[in-house]
Amino acid sequence: MVKKVLAYSYVYLILLLMYVPILVLILFSFTNATYIGTWNGFSFDLYVSLFESEEIMVAIGNTLIIAVISAVCSTILGTLGAVGGHYLKKKSRAALENINQIPVVNAEIVMALSLVVMFVFIGNMIFGGQNLFSFWTLLAGHIVISAPFVYLNVKPKLQQMDPSLYEAALDLGCAPRQALYKVVFPEILPGIFSGFMLAITLSLDDFIVTAFTRGSGLLSGANNIETISTLVQAKIKKGPIPPEMRALTTIIFIIVLLVVIGISIYRNKGTRYKSALRKRMRERMD
Amino acid sequence: MKNNYIIDLKNVSKIFDDDTIAVDNFNLYVRKGEFITFLGPSGCGKSTTLRMIAGFEFPSKGEILLNGKDISNLPPNKRPINMVFQRYALFPHLDVYDNIAFGLRLKRIPVLKKDKDGNPVLKVDHKKIRELKREYSLIKRNRHLEEEVKKAKLEDLEEKINKLKTTPTQSYSYVKLSNKEIDQKVAKALKIVDLEALEDRDISTLSGGQQQRVAIARAIVNEPEILLLDEPLGALDLKMRKDMQLELKEMHQKLGITFIYVTHDQEEALTMSDTIVVMKDGVIQQIGTPKMIYDEPKNAFVADFIGESNIYNGTMIGTKKVRFLDYNFVCLDDYPLNEKVDVVVRPEDVHFVKEEKAMIKGTIVNKIFKGMNYQYTIMIGKNELMVKSTSSYEVNSLAYLSIDPDGIHIMKKDFATNVYTDAWINKNNEVMIDDRPFACNVEQLVSGGHLDEEGNVVSKDGKHKYNFNDADVVAEIPLDKIDVIDDIESEDCEVVGEIVDSIYVGDHYRYIVRTENEEDFVFVSPYTYNLNDKVGLQVKKEDIKLRLKKEVNAYEI
Repeated sequence: MVKKVLAYSYVYLILLLMYVPILVLILFSFTNATYIGTWNGFSFDLYVSLFESEEIMVAIGNTLIIAVISAVCSTILGTLGAVGGHYLKKKSRAALENINQIPVVNAEIVMALSLVVMFVFIGNMIFGGQNLFSFWTLLAGHIVISAPFVYLNVKPKLQQMDPSLYEAALDLGCAPRQALYKVVFPEILPGIFSGFMLAITLSLDDFIVTAFTRGSGLLSGANNIETISTLVQAKIKKGPIPPEMRALTTIIFIIVLLVVIGISIYRNKGTRYKSALRKRMRERMD
Repeated sequence: MKNNYIIDLKNVSKIFDDDTIAVDNFNLYVRKGEFITFLGPSGCGKSTTLRMIAGFEFPSKGEILLNGKDISNLPPNKRPINMVFQRYALFPHLDVYDNIAFGLRLKRIPVLKKDKDGNPVLKVDHKKIRELKREYSLIKRNRHLEEEVKKAKLEDLEEKINKLKTTPTQSYSYVKLSNKEIDQKVAKALKIVDLEALEDRDISTLSGGQQQRVAIARAIVNEPEILLLDEPLGALDLKMRKDMQLELKEMHQKLGITFIYVTHDQEEALTMSDTIVVMKDGVIQQIGTPKMIYDEPKNAFVADFIGESNIYNGTMIGTKKVRFLDYNFVCLDDYPLNEKVDVVVRPEDVHFVKEEKAMIKGTIVNKIFKGMNYQYTIMIGKNELMVKSTSSYEVNSLAYLSIDPDGIHIMKKDFATNVYTDAWINKNNEVMIDDRPFACNVEQLVSGGHLDEEGNVVSKDGKHKYNFNDADVVAEIPLDKIDVIDDIESEDCEVVGEIVDSIYVGDHYRYIVRTENEEDFVFVSPYTYNLNDKVGLQVKKEDIKLRLKKEVNAYEI
């Protein structure tokens, strides 16, 4: 009995430590004090000023656009790489995996610097001294840091997959490409999805690569592209963290929560829905 | 139609990229509606043969004919053949119904294209040309084919392609099966495997036996001409396996399609098949009905692999008379006088009799209750004889035995290699043949394995450890790997015996050395020895090939 209580309280303690900071943040997003700790009474002021601040809205827009596009690109690249690597001969696969491993273990600053050097070099040698830094270099930078993580997320799913599944699909009449779509991809879908989510998060809060590879463009127009992380960085150089950020993080947290809940509801509903559908079909035919 | 062979394998060989020969010159035809089983120890090439029929591997040489048409290089999705996989390979993201309907949903029925007036539309068949071109490049890259055969095949294909390019043929459009048709077929398949109630279940919620049934339903719902089964019952427990064996047999009779079954379980093969193909090292040892293979095994390997048997070295001493175990017996097979032969006696063909009727006498040294009967080990001189009987006798008592002439099977000696079916490994990792230790490589029992300091074999990935002390093995020594030592007192002699047979074959002699315990060693040598010469024999460690009688997992520690 005592053991059980101890075990449960340990779990709850860990959960508490994990979520207390977020809960405090949410709480203080409903007051307009500049510093956390002072309570100026309940209000939605921060939310209002968040949506009124053009600077922040532009940064949010930029961040989302880059996150989605770079996540889609790196998911496609990483997944295809993992599938291709899985069916390679042993030696070539080991080589591919080592190459993939380098951006993962490498310090981000090294990646960022080498990207800058590369873009400058290409700009000078191929484009005749043109400044390449723009949305495209930023996107390339983000894909470079997140594609290896997608590869690493998809790879174990492929390894867990029964190798005869692909053969079974061929045996039942699939052409090789059909077998890939109908059997291999559904089987590794959880890996692709978690890789995609990871790519989004990596891109959302990336600062170093963004700061080094960005140029003008997107919603920032002729100015350097500003994302949430670069904006916060620019602000805290001059003063405190903008209080609107508390409102923004609360919104992000709630969106993530809703997505997680939505996924688990959808999973349960999907199977039930299908079996009901089939029953109805049979009744109609009889 | 020349014959009713549904599938015909002609001189089929499979050589893998690392030059290992998995299947060597395989010739076999299967009649329509037959239940045929490929039986052999692991690594004998039975699965590779099956995979070539399914289309997952293409033969390096030879051809596979389906209803008289060459399908050797056709991909699996173009063959009217379906397979039940060893670990079922069910699609986990689909439920039972969708798994079974998978093949049906991919199926397209060809419908002849017609123009407004009802005449067939003629078109050049580009799809067929693409297929032939693929086959062309496959043959071109095959480095195991002889140049001439390759050239002839390529020219033939080229001609076909050119002909197709110039002559338009009737074209077809392809239509899907309707949902109703699919539903009816799935319902029928579910009924055949007794799973009607489970169609909406997820695969992960099914038991092993149920998954097995889904796998069978998924294959038969496509109405294949041949159903391939790759050790489908291997993952089930004993009782379930027995039930499924009978059910599969029943299903085969009901469906009337050809079954090709692969197993290493001899009992399974005997119960279910119309025909058994016994394989070893990629070569067919014997093809026959279960009864034929059990009663008349062609060589010592088949006799040992199928059922339990006593195998002895014998000598023909007259017309239909053979001498083994130091006794003379009447038998039914006729071989030339003095021919050295292998004699096989099944344990159930030896009978306990009264003293005055006894042909042989021995001492009972071991008795095991087996449920149906007792299994006795009886020492006849220095040889062991295994006997099965329903009556109980005391251990250490004298046994009076007789063997009927039709219980004695005589086989020509296999002069390809020496096979010792009752060898075992001692605690020093030596193999005991004829109760004498021979240095050998036990590492070969685990692929990629190596010995550690304690004498255990560690697997390639280092995860598993095996101890083979007391393990029963089959040992093989090639004829040309036995060295003769003339000085029989020398310490190098691993075994000493007397030359009982010598034949001059072309440019060398072939000798049989028989030891005191009546074990035979056959070897070839360019030198002359006389009959009854006493010689010592020695075999190099790496020349003894070992095979476990049980699964390797039984020795894991």
